[in-house]
Amino acid sequence: MSQSYDRGLVEDFGRWRDFSAGMWAWVFHKFTGWVLIGYLFTHIAVLSTAIPAAGGDPSIYTNTLQGLEDLLVVRFLEVGLLAVAVFHILNGIRLLFVDLGVGLTAQDKSFYASLVLTGAIVVASIPTFLVGQL
Amino acid sequence: MAEHYSSFSRHGTGWLLQRLTAVFLIGVLAFHFMLLHFVNHAADVTFMGTQMRMQQLGYFVTMIAFLVTATFHGVNGVYNALVNQGLAGTQRTVVKWSLVAASVALVLQGIRVAFAMTGSPIL
Amino acid sequence: MSTQIQEQESEQEEQQQGESVPAQQQRRMDQKRERAADEERQRERVESSLDDEDTRTLKVFRYDPEVEGKKDPRFDEFVVPFRKGMTVLDALMWARDHYDSSLTFRHSCRQAICGSDALFVNGSQRLGCKTQLADLQNPVRIEPLPHQEVVKDLVVDMQHFYDQMDAVQPYFNDDDVPDGLEEQRQTRENREKIKMSTRCIWCGACMSSCNIAAGDNEYLGPAAINKAYRFAMDDREGEAMKQERLEILEQENGVWRCQTQFSCTEVCPKDIPLTDHIQELKREAVKNNLKFW
Repeated sequence: MSQSYDRGLVEDFGRWRDFSAGMWAWVFHKFTGWVLIGYLFTHIAVLSTAIPAAGGDPSIYTNTLQGLEDLLVVRFLEVGLLAVAVFHILNGIRLLFVDLGVGLTAQDKSFYASLVLTGAIVVASIPTFLVGQL
Repeated sequence: MAEHYSSFSRHGTGWLLQRLTAVFLIGVLAFHFMLLHFVNHAADVTFMGTQMRMQQLGYFVTMIAFLVTATFHGVNGVYNALVNQGLAGTQRTVVKWSLVAASVALVLQGIRVAFAMTGSPIL
Repeated sequence: MSTQIQEQESEQEEQQQGESVPAQQQRRMDQKRERAADEERQRERVESSLDDEDTRTLKVFRYDPEVEGKKDPRFDEFVVPFRKGMTVLDALMWARDHYDSSLTFRHSCRQAICGSDALFVNGSQRLGCKTQLADLQNPVRIEPLPHQEVVKDLVVDMQHFYDQMDAVQPYFNDDDVPDGLEEQRQTRENREKIKMSTRCIWCGACMSSCNIAAGDNEYLGPAAINKAYRFAMDDREGEAMKQERLEILEQENGVWRCQTQFSCTEVCPKDIPLTDHIQELKREAVKNNLKFW
C-alpha cells in the first residue's frame, strides 16, 4: 500500500470546531475524570496529616486544613472542583442512561442539560464556598 | 481473531464494574460534597470533628467503600483512556501494573488515614 | 451526464529528425507551458461564462502520489453553476467535466444506495449524492474520508473497512436452516427490530467519524458491529452461531471500545442508530456472561 501523507491533527482534535454534542460530552467527561482522580491522590496526601494528629497532636491536621482554607485561591479551586465533580456526576448519569439504552435520541439535549445544571449549581454554591473569605 | 475465550470475559466485567461503581459513586460523592461543604463548612473542619464522624461505624465503612470504588473507577478510567489512545504491548503492561501499584498504595494509605481519623491508628 | 470536454490541443507529435537533445527538451517545455496556458484559458472561459449565474465554489482536496508535482496535497478551487436540487456529487461531476478530467472520486448509483461516495464535506462525513449544495456554507470544502489512506484525490483505500466487516462473519450459518423448508419466515416484530441495521450501505462514513477507530484501528468499528447486530438479533440465527458472534464482539477490540460519542450515529447517511445497537450488544454480552455464573 502506498504510504499516504500525514493529515495529522486535522483529522481529530484539529477539527474541534466541528465536534457535536456527544463528542464534547466525551471530551469533558475525560477531562473531569482526570481532574478527579488527580484530586483523589492529593486529597489523601493532605488528609495523611491525620496520622501524626492521632499520635497526640491534633493541631497538625486542624491547622493544615484550616491553613489551606484561609487561602482565597484554595476556595476558588474548590469551586472549580465542585464544577468538575457536578459535571462528572450529571454527565455520568446521562451515560448510565445511554448504557441502558434509554433516551438515546435525546443524548445531545441531556448533555446541554447537564452543562446548564452544572453551571446553575456552581453559581448557587459560590457564596457557601467563599464564606468567611469575603 | 478469537485467541482466548472463557465464560468470564474480563473486558465485559471491567465495563460492568465501571458502571456499577459509577452508580455507587454518584450517591456517595454528592453526599460527601454536601456534608463537607454545605452541612459542615470545609473551613471549620477540625480533627475533633473528623474523629467524631469517623467513629460512627456506618460512616467509616461508607468512606472506606468510597475510597476503594473511587480508586477503581478513576484508575480503570485512566487505563481505558490510555488503551483507547492506542497504548499496547509492553508499554501497556508496564502502565497497567504501575497503575495497579499506585492504586494499592493509595488504598492502603487511605485506610491508614481512615483508622488514624478514628483516633486508633494502625501501623 | 459525464460528457468529456475534449481539450483543443494541436496534435503535433511528429519528431523532426536531426534535432539536438536540448532542442527537444526545449520543445517539450514549450508544449508543457502551452498546455498549462490552455488549461488556464479553459478555466477562464468556463468561469467567465458563469458570470451572471448563481454559482458555488468547491475547494477540492487534490493529491496524486504517482504524478510528479502532484505529490504534495493541495486544494483546487472550482466555480460551478448552482441549480436547485444540485448535490455535492453533481457539483463534483460538473467540475470534472468542465475543468479537470483528472479529478478523481468514486460514485455509481447517485441515489444513496451504492455507498461509493462518502466524502468529508465541510468538516463532516456525508454522502456526496445525498448532500444538497443548498444546505452547505459556501465555499464547500471537499476532502477524502479521514482515517483512511488516500489513494488519489478523493479516493480512499477501503480495504481495512472491508476486512472489519468480514471479521464479524456477516452471514447466516447454513446449519441453522431447518430441513424441508421452502422459505424461512421471520416475525414482523423481529423484522422491525433489525430493520434499521439492515440499511447499511458500507459507505464507511461512521468508521471515518469514530475517534476511537482513529486512535487504534484494531477496533471493530460501528459498521461491523452494526452488521453483527443485524444477524445476532435476527431470530433465524441459531444459538451456536449467535454465541460465536458474541464472542467476536466481546473481545477487547469489540463493543467495549465504544465510548458513546455518537459521532457515527450523527454521520450515518442511512440514519442507523449505531450507538443504540452497540449499546444493546454490550448489554447482551454482559447478560450472556452472567448466565454462566
